[in-house]
Amino acid sequence: MTPILDIAGYCLDYATPAGFTRALDAVTLGVAKGEVLGLVGESGSGKTSLAWAIMRHLPESAREAGRIRLIDKELTTTSEAEIEAIRGRRIGMVFQDPSTSLNPTLPLGEQLAEVLEHHRGLTRKQAWAEGEAMLARVGLKVPREMMRRYPHEASGGEKQRVVIATAFACQPECIIFDEPTTALDVITARQILDLFGELQAETGVASLYISHDLALVSRVANRVAVIHRGRIVEQGKVEEVFASPQDDYTQKLLAAVPRPDHRLVDDAGPGSEAKALVEVDKVSVRYGRKPFLAKLLGRENTQFTGNRDISLSVREGEILGIVGESGSGKSTLARALTGLNPFEGEIRFAGRPISGLKDMDRAYRRDVQIIFQHPDSSLNPRQRIREILSRPLALYGTVEQRKDANAIGALLEQVRLPAAYAERYPHQLSGGEKQRVAIARAFASRPKLVICDEITSALDVSVQASVVELLVDLQKRFGTAYLFITHDLNLVRQIAHRIAVMYRGDLVDLVDVAELSGGQVHAYTRSLIEAVPAPAAPASELPRI
Amino acid sequence: MIELLRRVLRSPQGALGLVLVGLILLVVVLGPWIAPYDPESLAPLQRYKPPSALFWLGTDQYGRDILSRLLHGARATVVMAVFATALGTLAGAVIGTISAFLGGRSDEAIMRTVDAVMAIPSLLLALLIVNLLGKSSWNALLAIAIAFTPGMARVTRSVALAVRKQDYVNAAIARGESARFIVWREMLPNVVAPIIVEMTIRVAFAVMLFATLSFLGLGAQPPASEWGLMVAEARRFMHLSPWMILWPSLAVAFVAIGFNLLGDGLRDALNPRT
Repeated sequence: MTPILDIAGYCLDYATPAGFTRALDAVTLGVAKGEVLGLVGESGSGKTSLAWAIMRHLPESAREAGRIRLIDKELTTTSEAEIEAIRGRRIGMVFQDPSTSLNPTLPLGEQLAEVLEHHRGLTRKQAWAEGEAMLARVGLKVPREMMRRYPHEASGGEKQRVVIATAFACQPECIIFDEPTTALDVITARQILDLFGELQAETGVASLYISHDLALVSRVANRVAVIHRGRIVEQGKVEEVFASPQDDYTQKLLAAVPRPDHRLVDDAGPGSEAKALVEVDKVSVRYGRKPFLAKLLGRENTQFTGNRDISLSVREGEILGIVGESGSGKSTLARALTGLNPFEGEIRFAGRPISGLKDMDRAYRRDVQIIFQHPDSSLNPRQRIREILSRPLALYGTVEQRKDANAIGALLEQVRLPAAYAERYPHQLSGGEKQRVAIARAFASRPKLVICDEITSALDVSVQASVVELLVDLQKRFGTAYLFITHDLNLVRQIAHRIAVMYRGDLVDLVDVAELSGGQVHAYTRSLIEAVPAPAAPASELPRI
Repeated sequence: MIELLRRVLRSPQGALGLVLVGLILLVVVLGPWIAPYDPESLAPLQRYKPPSALFWLGTDQYGRDILSRLLHGARATVVMAVFATALGTLAGAVIGTISAFLGGRSDEAIMRTVDAVMAIPSLLLALLIVNLLGKSSWNALLAIAIAFTPGMARVTRSVALAVRKQDYVNAAIARGESARFIVWREMLPNVVAPIIVEMTIRVAFAVMLFATLSFLGLGAQPPASEWGLMVAEARRFMHLSPWMILWPSLAVAFVAIGFNLLGDGLRDALNPRT
């Protein structure tokens, strides 16, 4: 069968002040009709560059070689004017984040109808009617109304459905999906994937599905190509690649995928008789200032609720996982615990009641540390690593530590970084290394509780695995309790002793990890478990590294 | 730093600005040594001379060499302007950062006060302050610094608000750092880049404001060779010798253009996205 999209020996270089850097190196792949090719790679591997190369939207600094063919059309030599007729008409694209790929100043229908008018020559009226039909087909309940809505009036999932409808609108031969579910919540992502499967089977379009998520690709794709530093290292049928990966990199990548059945901590954990370290008692957080005038006039309070009556406890040396979609109030709780948000209710730390910011004294600050999601923003770009790490020592360290010139080096070695990194600035480190520095900073004061707020979600899967391993290691050494906040259910099932599930500001479930899959759980928790794609292959079948 | 210089040099206005400012600084440092005459020696026989081989830029109403006076006056004019801007910038930056850090009602109170001060034109405000404090170069400097503070506070606050949301500030708060440490060590270093750009552009304003104050007789006092004062004195003899008013005016314009261009270049160099 002749492929619809045929890429052969394609190389792409970007001109930089230091010369050419290779983004894609001799990429050869093909997508046939009705086929889904999953392109898997970590950040910086060149997968998005390839997408843009196919769409013929490259910066001026790009230099290319090789060929990209769409059936009989050679795209690399086609003129700009001809490309414009092909883009959107014969090749569609679905972007990662629907909130940025839609124009916020135009109604959704306008954006969909424009494609139809432009490429299929429909009149405005026909285009709107057709657009409505398209929206109904992608499973939107009120297509007529949706056509007239602006992007901010639709949810993330609805917007992504509109983007998908736009991509399929002109019945293109090939569609590129660039991480279409990464910006969405797990349950929404699952629905979008189901929709993708239906439309794919119905139209038989050749799909190039780009993702960093191996588990996800194993579910949607027929064939998979693994890209590493611009080079396709392995390509083949999904089952074959995942069952018996040939390349070292693929093996490493597969081994790094979190699997709930592959526990990284002692299963027992501290029993229920263990002492509670932190007890959160009916804590609520409301955002927004109390409007003074509204209070005077006796109007309703319009504050936004971040947390509603959360009660939970973390035992000494326990890893408590908190899962939930974005906006469910996970981070709000973390911020309340560290005094970044005012809260109502009471927190008891080692038996001591804390009812507000005033009660968070030096001892509490020392014992409760937080690690943030983005190491880029949690490390001050203008400070050297030495200065960053010296602050907790200056505030909470022992006298010896403050005098010891090697204290910083010791902290760095504790997180498996060379001591020489002390003289570097954060931008000279990779994402994983930066997050290790943030971990070192949190552990410098020997805390009893460390709050990890989505600390691995900005990292690649292989880096994530090593950071998680480090955390588990530190936990074993120091017996620190963790509040591990994440949206990744598979990851949290690997390391947590108990799991709390949050939904729209409420705590809906708090169960032992073992009871999660079988026991009595909330309906939302069950749908969450069902929505999470199962990892590609059981850990036992993988070669150990 | 060298990388920054290279990037400034890449844009034409940055390169030109750098050359002009470099020349100005050279004059500031070396001026008194390279001046051919004593700027205050009177020569009644050589009054109102047009430019000639002997007096390159001509002489003034007392027969003093204008080139020598300009070279000597560069120190008073440029150094004072830079100093006044730096003082105003520092005060404004600290106020703006503190305001952004505190947030809420305190932020509101500080910024409304700043707005109120900003509503007074800077020249009027400077005039008011000099009149209150008495005429002298130092008071003029202080007046300009105060006049610049509210503007700088506004600029800084807008940048600092973005910095305030960064997690390293949250981390510092969660760590229990003092407010002073957070403002000085965590926030201020990160708002410096846009402030430096704003400051270079404002140096040009300060030179002109200084010249204006001296022109009105409220800044430098005779026989100082401050450029604004030179323009003010030359005004009466414009019909006798237009050169007398032309040269110091050109010198002020030269400094203003130089710093403005450098500011433009720095803005592009510090923000690669524009």
